[in-house]
Amino acid sequence: MGEMKEPRWKEAEFEEIEYEPTSIKELLVEMKNISELMVDLAYSAILFNSSDIAEEVRYLEVHMEKLNYQMRMMAMLAARTTEDAEKLSGILQMAEAAKMISGAAGDAVKLLSVKLRHPLLPRLLKESDEMIRKMVVGGNSAAIGNNLPGLRVASETGVRVIALRRGNKWFYSPKNIDLKKGDVVIGVGPEKGLEHLVRFFNGETEVLE
Amino acid sequence: MSEKEAEEMLLEMKEKAELMVDLAYSSVIYDSRDLAEEVYELEEFIDVLNDKFQQLAIRDVKNDELEVNDALAMIQLAICSEMIADGAREIADIELRDVELHPVIRESILESDEVFVRTTIAPSSVLNGKKLGDMELASKTGMWVIAIKRNGKWIYDMDKNTVLKEGDIVFARGVKEGIEHFSALAEGNEEEI
Repeated sequence: MGEMKEPRWKEAEFEEIEYEPTSIKELLVEMKNISELMVDLAYSAILFNSSDIAEEVRYLEVHMEKLNYQMRMMAMLAARTTEDAEKLSGILQMAEAAKMISGAAGDAVKLLSVKLRHPLLPRLLKESDEMIRKMVVGGNSAAIGNNLPGLRVASETGVRVIALRRGNKWFYSPKNIDLKKGDVVIGVGPEKGLEHLVRFFNGETEVLE
Repeated sequence: MSEKEAEEMLLEMKEKAELMVDLAYSSVIYDSRDLAEEVYELEEFIDVLNDKFQQLAIRDVKNDELEVNDALAMIQLAICSEMIADGAREIADIELRDVELHPVIRESILESDEVFVRTTIAPSSVLNGKKLGDMELASKTGMWVIAIKRNGKWIYDMDKNTVLKEGDIVFARGVKEGIEHFSALAEGNEEEI
């Protein structure tokens, strides 16, 4: 707190675009993943009134622009024939769509600056099929020392863990992090799956299956 | 509009927009023109709903029934869903224009965090004849049913009372690790949900 540092998204905003050889497939996977993560993060930022998460959304939006430039460069270099050009135009269209979705998420977090008398999102999301929930890893949980893919959280509960906070540090879309006592986890998924995960983090159940 | 009505409209837009993205990706992976057409129709539906919502919100502000800031936030949320729906339409567009599909498109969708599967309900499947609300497929397999094709017709407004039937072509979205379990259940090769 109190540190007057430029937010990360501001620093990255007009970063120079340089050619970096990257695979088109990897770029497309990354753009799709980021666009979906951003939508989940944007709703979470509003729901929990978190400017940290909102800042990550802004950063990802800026990062997405950069990926889109890289995608165009790679596509142009990959085109040798008119047939290639046609096929590659479909890829560019997909990349553009991912960028549009990320733009929607980026706009949504601007809502944080609007002061509301009764916040609408908590009520709205309560009725939703997919819910967002904040959970804490308790001292007795069998989750401690394991990472999320290792625990098969996604397939056993249907919950996507989109963010993890340890102390003051946030990790987004955490995959390779071994869970510790006190970690705050934000999950998106079906109500039953979220409840199950909460019990697991509380140490009330030993296994996720 | 009442608060309840506003919430219902916003929730419908949010859920439909997100569903559209799933349907659009599925239309590209499975080269399904009619699924892509469904996405286009849904996009028009969301446009209409969004216009109507904004009119109602502005009218309510004018009649002192709604605070300006609340209206602003609600309209912004509606626009956000509308933008997501536009993104979905752009994806479906690839399918509708008969652009020769680069294999990378399909591969990249299937290698990302959120993947898709299409399967058919076998007569011997444990899912056959069961209500979606009774099975908790999402929390037990990590896969959400997003659309069903039954006798040539699309169903995507499922609720907990929707019953799966043999012969249904089921489209689902979820995690890679969930596909095998889900498909085995649908195809009758696995009994335990």
